[in-house]
Amino acid sequence: MIIAERKPFEEIKEMLKSYNNVLNVGCGGCTSICLAGGQKEVNKLNAELTKEIPALKIDGYVIERQCNYDFFADLDEKASQYDAILSMACGAGVQFVAERYTSIPVFPALNTVFCGVDRNVGWFEENCRTCGECVLGETAGICPVTRCAKGIFNGPCGGTRIDGTCEVDKNTPCAWTDIYNRLKEQGRVSNILDVKPIRLWQNQTRRSLIQEDYKARYAE
Amino acid sequence: MSDQDNKAVDRAEISGMLAKKAPEMKHILNYCLHCSLCAESCFLYMSHDGDPEYMPSYKVINSLGKLYKKKGNVDREFLEGIKGMVWNNCVLCHRCYCPIGIDIPRMIDFTRSICRSQGVFPELDEGESWL
Ligand code: SF4
Ligand code: SF4
Ligand code: SF4
Ligand code: SF4
Repeated sequence: MIIAERKPFEEIKEMLKSYNNVLNVGCGGCTSICLAGGQKEVNKLNAELTKEIPALKIDGYVIERQCNYDFFADLDEKASQYDAILSMACGAGVQFVAERYTSIPVFPALNTVFCGVDRNVGWFEENCRTCGECVLGETAGICPVTRCAKGIFNGPCGGTRIDGTCEVDKNTPCAWTDIYNRLKEQGRVSNILDVKPIRLWQNQTRRSLIQEDYKARYAE
Repeated sequence: MSDQDNKAVDRAEISGMLAKKAPEMKHILNYCLHCSLCAESCFLYMSHDGDPEYMPSYKVINSLGKLYKKKGNVDREFLEGIKGMVWNNCVLCHRCYCPIGIDIPRMIDFTRSICRSQGVFPELDEGESWL
């Protein structure tokens, strides 16, 4: 799931300073689940904004997904009544809202932080950088891109501490030590004995994906 | 516990929301053929051994359908009662197939909006789970 956190209040205030009629749109998907931009968080932010900026008229509305136009019908009816929209979705959702209502300024209320997992209520951990060439099959389900400070593919780097932590941060386990230990436990250390070729990190262009079974549908 | 836990629900607001979408929603509620094709295409229904509580048509008829039947004359208990059906029992994946084109997730989405308008929604930080 996508994990986000609310921007500092002052930053949100600054973004909205030229507007006095704003709609704060929450997302019923990931940012509800990571407790950053769902119904409760919309209500809370609006209460704070109303208290701090008495002249601001701010309404709240949550749509179930900001990354799918099938859920935009109600927002379509409301959007034009406001002079700015604040979105509490991830960056993908904010952009989708901005693309839909190009004449209305759209602002992000959150910082989208990572793609990760729930450890406990309100506690999340990054697990994947969506690199597009997953190597977890070889690395015992531990991501070297995300969890090794240097993102190296032929670790460990030589800086691992004796207690198995990373030289960059003594509170972080060395990803490659963990990879080695787990592969050893599974009898698969041979996976990492060969030197891996250099990963061709490419200049990034916007990625888009059509699942194999749907290629014919979008062939045009 | 919801923000507005003890407040009475605003029935006029609910009726207004229902009325506004009545032409679209009632139409589709009235035309369900009970053919169960939507059920077979819902992964939640299939993965819960055909538990009827996960059947797309069941979820809509027992939430939005009841709201229309009662013309919005419901209390908080009713909304809390359908909360699980429209949040936990449907992920709004849009994969259910209806041969006559009933848009089940659109109706569940609308039912969630009605619940939200009265402060009824999953309290994820209070240990309520999504699925
Ligand atoms: S818009 Fe972003 S936060 Fe909302 S459901 Fe989509 S991916 Fe998740
Ligand atoms: S290798 Fe790591 S960053 Fe790349 S897709 Fe796999 S988990 Fe994600
Ligand atoms: S010590 Fe381990 S985690 Fe840290 S940079 Fe080196 S290989 Fe990566
Ligand atoms: S949208 Fe809901 S009812 Fe339809 S297939 Fe997905 S989970 Fe099932």
